[in-house]
Order: sequence, then C-alpha cells, then structure tokens
Amino acid sequence: MDASCRTLRRVAIGYFTVFLVVVLAVPGLTLALDWWSRGRLIGGMSPNFVMAAVGLYVFFFVIAIAAATLANAVEGRMLGGPGPGHDPDNGQRDQS
Amino acid sequence: MLVIVAGIAAVLRPRAASTLDFYLAGQRVGVATNACAICGDYFSAASFLGVAAAVYVSGLDGVWYATGFAAGFVPVLLFVAAPLRRFGEFSIPDFLGRRLESEKVRLAAVTVIQLIILSYLVPQAVGSGITWELLVGHGIAGLSPYATGVLFSTAAITALVALGGMRGTTWTQAVQFLLLLSAFIWLTIAVIGAGFNYPDAVAELTREPLGNPEHAGGQWRTATEPNRIEPGTPAYFGEPGARYGRLGQFALIITLIMGTAGLPHIMNRYFTSPTGTAARMTTVWVLGLAGLFYTLAVLLGTAARTIIADAADELPWLDALTVHGVLRVPEHAPLVLGRIYGGELGLGFIATGALVAVMSTIAGLLLASAASWGHDVYERHLNPRATQRQAVWAGRIAVAVVALLSAVIAVSLRPDSLGALLPSMVATMVTWAFALAGSALTPVFLLAIWWPRTTATGAIAGMSTGAAAAMAMFAAGTFADDSGLREMLLTPTVVAAPLAVVVTIVVSRHTSTPVNLESLWLRLHGTAADRHITRLARLTVAGVTPRRARATRHDGTRGRMGKGERHE
Amino acid sequence: MSSGSLPLAGVLVLVWALVYLVTQIIADPALGVGTTLMIGVGLTVLFTLGYPSALRGPRHIRPPTRQPAKDTATSQPAKTIAAAGQSMPLRSGLTAEAAQRTVKLLHPLLEGDSVAITDRDRVLAFIGPGADHHTVGEPPRTLASAKVLDGGKTLVVRTRAKLGCPHSDCPLQTAVGAPLAIGKRVVGALLVYRVDERPPPRSLVEGVARILSLHLELAELDRERTLAVDAKLDALRAQINPHFLFNTLNTIASRARTDPEEARQLLLRLSDFFRYAIRQEGHFAEFGQEYFFVRTYLALEQARYGDQLRVRYDVDPQVLTAQVPVLTIQPLVENAVKHGLANKIAGGTVTLKARVDPLTRTTSIRVTDDGVGMSADVLERISAGEGMANGGVGLRNISQRLETLFGERYRLDVRSNETDGTVVDLRIPLG
Repeated sequence: MDASCRTLRRVAIGYFTVFLVVVLAVPGLTLALDWWSRGRLIGGMSPNFVMAAVGLYVFFFVIAIAAATLANAVEGRMLGGPGPGHDPDNGQRDQS
Repeated sequence: MLVIVAGIAAVLRPRAASTLDFYLAGQRVGVATNACAICGDYFSAASFLGVAAAVYVSGLDGVWYATGFAAGFVPVLLFVAAPLRRFGEFSIPDFLGRRLESEKVRLAAVTVIQLIILSYLVPQAVGSGITWELLVGHGIAGLSPYATGVLFSTAAITALVALGGMRGTTWTQAVQFLLLLSAFIWLTIAVIGAGFNYPDAVAELTREPLGNPEHAGGQWRTATEPNRIEPGTPAYFGEPGARYGRLGQFALIITLIMGTAGLPHIMNRYFTSPTGTAARMTTVWVLGLAGLFYTLAVLLGTAARTIIADAADELPWLDALTVHGVLRVPEHAPLVLGRIYGGELGLGFIATGALVAVMSTIAGLLLASAASWGHDVYERHLNPRATQRQAVWAGRIAVAVVALLSAVIAVSLRPDSLGALLPSMVATMVTWAFALAGSALTPVFLLAIWWPRTTATGAIAGMSTGAAAAMAMFAAGTFADDSGLREMLLTPTVVAAPLAVVVTIVVSRHTSTPVNLESLWLRLHGTAADRHITRLARLTVAGVTPRRARATRHDGTRGRMGKGERHE
Repeated sequence: MSSGSLPLAGVLVLVWALVYLVTQIIADPALGVGTTLMIGVGLTVLFTLGYPSALRGPRHIRPPTRQPAKDTATSQPAKTIAAAGQSMPLRSGLTAEAAQRTVKLLHPLLEGDSVAITDRDRVLAFIGPGADHHTVGEPPRTLASAKVLDGGKTLVVRTRAKLGCPHSDCPLQTAVGAPLAIGKRVVGALLVYRVDERPPPRSLVEGVARILSLHLELAELDRERTLAVDAKLDALRAQINPHFLFNTLNTIASRARTDPEEARQLLLRLSDFFRYAIRQEGHFAEFGQEYFFVRTYLALEQARYGDQLRVRYDVDPQVLTAQVPVLTIQPLVENAVKHGLANKIAGGTVTLKARVDPLTRTTSIRVTDDGVGMSADVLERISAGEGMANGGVGLRNISQRLETLFGERYRLDVRSNETDGTVVDLRIPLG
C-alpha cells in the first residue's frame, strides 16, 4: 500500500517533470533560438506556432495515455486488480 | 435556446439500465460521457470566445492561452484525479476538511474558493454582455446593451438555478459540450470549405506587423502592437511577443497549468466517476477533447483574422464592428465568422453556443459557490440542525447574492474601457481565477494528497500565504509601470505557489498530523473500493446480458402474485 | 421546485414592476438607471432574505450545543479547561490512541512529572519519568492505581512505599489518582505522579478526571445510539428475506425444468443478492452499490413476472458516488413491486429516479410505480407510521432509521391515488 503510493508519486512526479520541461521549452526556445519563431515548417507556420497550435495538444494526450496506463498498471500489480479472486478487504467505507 | 439544450439532453438521456452498468463498470461509454460533462463545465466563454479572440488579437501569444487551458489537466491527471475520487468527498472544502480533520481548513478553503469563483464569474458575465451587444444590439430600460446583457443573463440564470433548473446533470453538461464542439466543427468546415488555407494564412498574416484598433481621442485608429520580447520592433502574428515579454510567457503557462487543479466546479465533477481509475481515464479523454477543441479555436481565430479583413470591404454590416478590417472587440470573431458563413442562422448558432457556454459555466460556478455557502458555512456552522427547507433557502439566497455581486462588478468593468489595457479581456480575466486557484489551493491540495505529513495548520498557513501573495502581486501589478514586471505580477502563480508550498511544509513540520492518518491515507490511495465496485458492476452486467426474453414465456408462476404465495 | 418559491418569484416580479412604475413613470423627471437598479436590487435582497423567515415564523432558540465539559469545570484553572474542552480525544472512547493524545495534552497542565491513563486492565498511556518500566499495554504496576480502580475514589499517595511500584529504581515518589467513570462504573484511572515529595494538587487532578469522565460518558452515549441504529438495521435486514426468498426459489424451481441455464443464472444472482445483504457493514454505502442491489432484485422479480414488470432507471451518474443509507432503496422498490404492481393484472412500470442537487447538497431518490395505488386512509395510516398488515413495516423501519441517522434533515414523502400508482420521494443530505 505504502510502497505503491510512493511508486505512484514517483511516476507522477517523473511525468510531470517531462511535461513541464517540454511545455517550458516552447517559450524557452523562443528566447534561445531564432529559427524557432522565424523559421518556416509547414507552409507558412513557424515551428513555434506548429508546436503551440497543434503539437502540444498531441503531446498532452500522449503523455496522459502513457501516465494513466502506467499508473493503472502499477495499481493493478501492487494492490491487486479487479477480479473475482480479489475480495474487497476494506471495500465498504463507513462514514457518516 | 436553453430549452433546446434541455430538450436534446432529455431525449438523449439514456434510460436503459445498461448504460449505467457500463458507467459503473468504468467502461468507455461512461468515461466518455463524464469527460464530455467535465468539458461542458470547463469550456466557458473564455474558451469559446476568448481563445479565438486572443489568437485574433495577438496571434501566437494568444495561442499560448489555449495551450495553458488544456495543459492544466495534465497535473490533474497525474496528481489529483484518482486519489480525489477515491477519497470520495463531494467538494474541495469537504476534501480538505476531512483529509486534514479540521473545520478551520474547511473554512479557509471555502474563503479561497469563493474568491476564485467570483473572479471566474465576472468574465463570464462580461462575455454574455458582449454577446448581447452583438446579437441584440440595444439595451432595455435605458441601460447600455452591454449592461443589459450582463444583467439579463445573470438574472435569468440566477432565477433558473435558484428555482431548480440548471442543476448541471451529467447528461445536460455533456450535451452542452457537444453543442459547443459541433459549433466549432461546423465553422471549421465552412471556413476550410471556403478555401481557407491554415499554414498560408499564418504566413500571410505574419508578413506584416500586427495592428489592432485603438480608441484614441474619440476616434478609432489602427495601432501597431509593439513587440514585447524585442522592444522597439513591431509584433507579428505568427511570432511570439505580441502580448508577453520573456518572463510573461513562462509566468502565464505556469499559472494556467497550476490553476485547473484548484477550480472548484471542475473538481466537483471528479466525484462522479465510479472509480479512481475511471476518474483517471476520464481525464485522458478530457485532454483529448480539449486538445481538439482548442486546435479548432486557434484555427478559427487565425481564420477570422484573414477572412474578416477580406470581407470587410464587401459586407456593409461589418463597418460598425471593424476598423480597417480589424474587429474592435475581438470576442466578436467567432460570431462574425458565423454570420459570414451562415447568415443570421449561423450567427444564431454560434451565439447560442456562446450563451450556452456562458450559462452552463455560470450555473456551475453559482452552484459550487452557493453549495459552499449553504453547506460548509450555513449547515455546518450557523445552523447545524437545518431542515431541508432551510438548506434550500440558504442555497438560493447565496446564489442571488453571489450572482448580484458578479453582475455589479461586470457592469462596472466595461470592456471598451479596459480594452486598450488588456486585449481580449475575457480570457485575461479568467487567468485571474486560475492564478488564485493555482497559488492558494493547488499547492495545498497536492501536498495534502501526496505528502502524509501535511497538517491542518500547515494547510491554512499555505492557503492564506498563497492567496495573499497572489492578491498582493496582482494589486502591485495593476499599478506597476514596467511592462515586464507587470506581466509577471499579473500572473503571480510562479512566485506565489512555491511560496505556499514552502510555508505549508515548514508549518506542517512543526504541528501534528491528524490522528487517523493511516485510515485517511488508505482511503485516499487504496484501491479496494475501486475493485469492489468494479466487481459488483461486472457481476451485474454478466448477470443481465445472457438473459433472454423468450425464457420468460414458460413461466408458470408469473402474473398475479396471489395471497397464497405469501408465506408469513 | 419547492412550494415556497413560486410565490416568491411572483412577489419579486411585483416588486420590480412597482419600482419601475414609481421611479420611471410616476416620478418626474424619471430617476437615473443606477438609482433605480439600486432600489430594485435592495428590495429584492430584502424580500428574498425576509421571505423564508416570514414563512418559518420567529426563529426559536436552538438547544445548547453539546459541550457540557465547559459548564461543569468552571472552578478549574482556565487553561486546563480550555485545553480539555477544545480538544476532546476521549470523546471517541477510551482507546490507547485517544489516551495517549489526552496525556500529551494534559501533561504540561497537571503540575506533575508523569501522567498516566489506565483502563481496568492495562496502562493505556504513560508520559514522563518512569515510562521505561510503566510500559503501555501492560497491567498497571502501582498499588495506587489498583486502589483507585477498585475504590472508585480519588487517592493521594504521599510516600514511595504506598505508591507501591515493584520496580526498585522507580523515580516516582508521590501521586494523585482519580477514577474515570461512566456513571458509577469505574472504567479507568488518571494518575499524576511526581518525583519529589509534594503530591500534585488533588483538586486539579480530580477536576480533570471528571471532565474526562464526562467525555467518556458522551462517547458511551454515542455508542449506544449507534447500537440502536445497528439493531434497527439488522431488523430491517432480517425482514427483507423470508417471502422474497420463498417466491424466488419457487420461480427458479419452475424454471429449472424448462431452462436450466437461466435457473442457474438466477441462482447465482440470488446468491449475489444475499451475499450483499448479509455482508454489508456500516450504515452507508455508495449509491452505485445500492443500485446494484436494486438491479439484482428487479432482475429476479422480472424473471417471475416477465413482461408485466417493466423497469426504468433515470439515474444521473453524479448520484452513483453519493453516500446513501444501506438497504433503503431496495425496500422502496420492493414495496412498489409488491404493493403497487403485483395486484395489477396488466402489469406496470417501476421507475427509479435519482439525482444530486448540488445547490442544497441533497440526494433525491424517487421510486414511482403506476400500479394500483392506495386509498387515502391507507396512505394516512402509513404516513402516521403505523404500518400495514402486509409489509408496510419496511417503510416505517426506513423512516426510523433515517431519523436516527439524519435527525430532521431528511424527507420521506409518499403520495398515492387509488388506480394512479404511488410515488415515494426520499431526500437525504449528501455526505
């Protein structure tokens, strides 16, 4: 339980770092690389524009799928997946 | 118009039990529905009109907004979705209050949330005022069209919410999102069908410096946007710098990324997912849908820039709205596109979309705010024995007061008067809400979920530090002269959030954690409840599916259940 | 829409009309827009605020909230009272964890070097010098504690010998012990030791022990109340079973000849059903689980009645995760089937509608049937809580349980017309 939580936390922080680096790279490159905002990639769009208008959304979606799959797998592996073999040991929460 | 939405929702509302079964089993139908509902809550006027407007006004820097709005769901997915659902409380104050076992934390969270909601409500009201201005064009009872729009929409929605409509059921919200999305898809198809070439248009627009109308000395004229990254040069559409300087680019994206996790009306929806895993998958869908939506919004903003400029000479009705082919109020962009391609009907369609976006978001925010007043303050502290009737009235009064407050603020902030200061102010104003949420709420939220040592005192200290820092910087930013510094101060999360984290950690280290930390932790991160509900759902689905109708025909005992069968 | 809001809406329309009339038409010259709006809004707020209190009548004084510890301890030093009153770890019962927190809290206030809390058999918490051999979890070592526990009176020990610690190096010299009692029953002791010869102040220790006793008494009351609810819940569970079981087994038996596979399915469902009914712990479950329960039940009944029993679910997914009292929805549905539809030859539809109202944070559940309904006097008897000869007891049981769980914060309405069917409306607070 505790181990799985720590693993999940590590996974989440790892993915978040990747996410942050990629997102911040976009304005970062603006400052560092002239080609990034002046170059022409598809037709008339600069790499910066392509990234911001389409690329990042695709990236978000991909990273989301990857992170969610991994987190689900970690939970399934470490805490037991939903199957008839796993009886809920503390399934019913009691609160008032 | 709302009737239409309600009607569609009522027709589409699944009555068959199997839909619910699938929902509970965490299968795709349910996850997608909930994702649509979240999008319906999330996509407000800021997304529907504001993003296209921001792109229209400032090009690439406007695109950056959309990116931030979508990016906010990545941390939600990574850190928040599953544990929040597993803990199973209905709202953020409930969650923090129970997790840290402290009423004071709950009250602190309520205060912060009320501020966030208010700063989110105002731009929505502004958005409806702008839409009214364009759609109806004249005011009632001597009010300006703008003020009429604000007051009318706020009053209508308040009445609806207070009297029992607009409860934001999952199906209605999902249908609303689909309406918004279909409006954008239709516009995109129309625009591309008319020969619009996206890359070429960007290149075309980038060839000349970006100019926007300015109201100076009683006259409208076009003024070139200065480049904020390289002072002294003009800004171009497809290049950064039209709105944000070096630091501002980073500050904005961080603000938007951190903000989403602290938005109360979005987080409330996460409790709808049947399991933590489903909540996670829901967020994946939300990210996909948001990506699609914003891609289209950006495309339309770009398209509006070229198409409206071309059409301004031919269409006389554009004269009143444009200056040298550029719209005075950029929020009009999708609406004008709608009118160009669909005539009055097209305008009506897009305007419906805008009003639906505004109204559902206002309703969601009002509900979140009123529920917070009614439940967290009134029922828990003022009158713990409140009956159902009293609770209803407490909620209604809260709705009325919050709505009134936001309408008054919206009316006093006329967009023309601020237009020159902050272009496309709807989107800009929404970032205030994000900044507050991201500075005060999200840091504490994340720590409470992932750091077991978080304490109630620490959380309160963190929240107040974050909120105070954000507001102080914001106030300072409004008066600051230096533009780089100002941008930075206007999107304060970059500084305020780390500050809140540090304060929370330091104070937490010196205070004691809740007594039942272990059971709380188990509730937050354990998956047993998930497994239980999934298993039950599977049993139900498995039990129902193989049943055949013909089997019942041979039923000897069916029919009237006579007295003889009662064995008592 | 609740009954009071329509009149209010009317009143507000009138108010605005009046404001408009007075400021824009009668007044000459007409007032400015801002002023008019201010007047209108002010009146609206006034009416909206004043309206519910006018409906409700004068607000009665609320009974005092539960914190009796503060009243009884006024003679004690202020800081002790404040500490004991604000944080009440023992409020949840005499457990080791609560005792440890209490001891930590009281240690600086009791003017002793060591503080201990024991129950009748073992030391629950010990803090201060001597903790090395007065170990938590073991039986109390000193004679003094034994005496307090047996005698049920406060005891002041002034010498080391009388303290009676078997450990030779024990630094503790003097002590004051006071019993912790629920009513007259001594359940534990609070012991304050000192390493010098002056015993700790007796009145202080005694007073604190009395406060703690009060907390324990409250905990006991809570426990008893919970037990009463549990008992009712058990009673309801026991009620669900008999005739339902008989009827279903009959169905399955007849099916076993014609369609063994379906009979097998039904048996499996039945076992799911009972597994849930028996295993369920606690008073609340997520709606999703209750839904599963209702679903299983209705599938079984549909196997009995075939096409005559039609079921509609109108459930917003938001409800699925709301906490509802266990086994309240299924009996309502069962009533609808048994009393509403079973006696109707043409059969009918049962509708389960569930919503969350985010404004009032209420879960509303409505079970509707278009069956035979009931006559006005039967309805009255049910509403009066008398129950019917053939099973209306379930409803009474539910409403008693809801009352224990929610006090006045729930509503259970039954509306019915002969031939028109019955509507049962249940509204409970969410979380």
